[in-house]
Amino acid sequence: MAIKLFKKAALKKWVDSLIAGGRVFGVQAKGERFAFGPLEKAADLRLDYDVTILPPKKYLQPQTEDLVKFSKGGGYESVIDSEPFVLLGVHPYDMAAINQMDAIFLKDGEVDTHYKARREAATIVACDVESPSENVFAGCMGTAVVDKGYDVLVTAVDGGYVVETASPRGEKLLAAAGEVPDASKKDMKKRKAVQEKNRKRLRKHELKGEPLGLPCLLGKSENHPVWEEKARLCYSCGSCNLVCPTCYCFDVQDDTDWTLESGRRYRVWDACLLADFAAVAGGHNFRKERAARFRHRYYRKGKYIPEKIGEIACVGCGRCITACTAKIANPVEVYNRLTEGC
Amino acid sequence: MSKPRLAIFDFACCEGCQLQIVNLEEEILDLISLVDPVEWREAISDQSDTYDIAIVEGSITRPEDEERVKKIRERSKVLIALGACAAIGGVNKLKNNFDMDDVKKCVYGKDADLPHLNTAMTKAVDEVVPVDFYVHGCPIDRDEFKHVVKSVALGKKPNIPVYPVCVECKLRENVCRYEFNELCLGPITRAGCGARCPSNGSWCFGCRGLAPDPNVDAAKEVMDKYKKTVDDLRDRILLFNSKQEHADV
Repeated sequence: MAIKLFKKAALKKWVDSLIAGGRVFGVQAKGERFAFGPLEKAADLRLDYDVTILPPKKYLQPQTEDLVKFSKGGGYESVIDSEPFVLLGVHPYDMAAINQMDAIFLKDGEVDTHYKARREAATIVACDVESPSENVFAGCMGTAVVDKGYDVLVTAVDGGYVVETASPRGEKLLAAAGEVPDASKKDMKKRKAVQEKNRKRLRKHELKGEPLGLPCLLGKSENHPVWEEKARLCYSCGSCNLVCPTCYCFDVQDDTDWTLESGRRYRVWDACLLADFAAVAGGHNFRKERAARFRHRYYRKGKYIPEKIGEIACVGCGRCITACTAKIANPVEVYNRLTEGC
Repeated sequence: MSKPRLAIFDFACCEGCQLQIVNLEEEILDLISLVDPVEWREAISDQSDTYDIAIVEGSITRPEDEERVKKIRERSKVLIALGACAAIGGVNKLKNNFDMDDVKKCVYGKDADLPHLNTAMTKAVDEVVPVDFYVHGCPIDRDEFKHVVKSVALGKKPNIPVYPVCVECKLRENVCRYEFNELCLGPITRAGCGARCPSNGSWCFGCRGLAPDPNVDAAKEVMDKYKKTVDDLRDRILLFNSKQEHADV
């Protein structure tokens, strides 16, 4: 696989050629924050962003996604979106989250057809973090740097961008750039230094203990007072879930047209902090209390998903910390409280 | 199967929610392919004695209104409260914060005692008669109205959010209004509008009413984090949610 050094102008030219060639979503400014959106020109791309409001999972599992069209009499047809697209500027922690979603949705025998189609249609250009966000703690979670999942990795270094391809699809994408010099040993050293630095500086909150100790810690923390203490201020608004790159729960709903004879079945993002998340027929609710829902999220991230896929389902992006209006959703704060005991 | 007979009635309100139905424009034809409108002052001149679905817009503010809405209820199989005034009392309930005589004098001056200007405490429709379904908001969201009507026609329970507006703000990737140092009622207000105000640069006014089991205590405590006071919160809640359950902060 190739490793090139792009000057700023060459990178811009490359991105513009990608835009000319098809659907490209990239990170852009949204007021004083950042968001992934359809990219119209390379000049709008902000690889120096700190964090996006929503993670790029919205392109693999959109907020609202049609699954099936149906009609009276039993006719139905799956809706599959397989139009190719390029995702530009995915940070390592978000790439790590996508790798986790792959483990869940593409697991042998449990493949989610809709996710699979979008994932296969995606060419992912990851980029190392240039500007750490105010609440990032990826350094503590082992996700400050990523080594798999992407097709291309871009790292801003002094004097340009080191661009590495990691798949045939990435190679093809890079071919659109034309003649670009190979990265020198010195450039590679610079990239390594950036990544080493990121491992150390993406730690705005410091997790005590190793992440992989969390399942055991949670195993004995069910009755810890922190759940009640924090949940007291919980709005049950699900913001912490909705901005999370590893949250993938969804609700399935139907909508009919005016004839009531045909319609669509679609899924929308759900959130385990919402009051009716665990409500079932007959009016029973498995997690009726705020504290039960609040606790569940930490168990899901720190115990239940790790037991399924062997990785902690928190990648340290810090979005939940920022998004929580009541400021009770900091995973590091909660897990550290558990480490300290009651 | 014959089409359900639909009637629309207005009480104390601006009739803007009915206007949202009229604003369905070409979809009105779809609506009347599904239901048979038999009484609807804003759009047709017919009147009827019985209906399968009654849609009631506006608040109940006079004794004679109570009698009228009770009769509507008797004549209908399903009753839907349309818009904030009908569903929660909304802006009209501001009045309930004051003495009724003072209210009358303030509004009508020397004519306050004329019999046809008599007024009472504002009630939401369900404070007078049972309501089967609600279309919340000021004004209503047309898509939600369509969803409720289609659900009723299908004999299905409409799916009306019980979660706060924050959910829809996040789905639309809005920057939180609190980051703009604004006091937004989104965290305690029932969603379903698609976070329309925050998506268009304003804080949430709470027009859809408080979400079921809103954490108002949290809202009070959170004010301090954003250099706002409980008085600020109370002022903002009063506009659409005066005299509501949980709204007494």
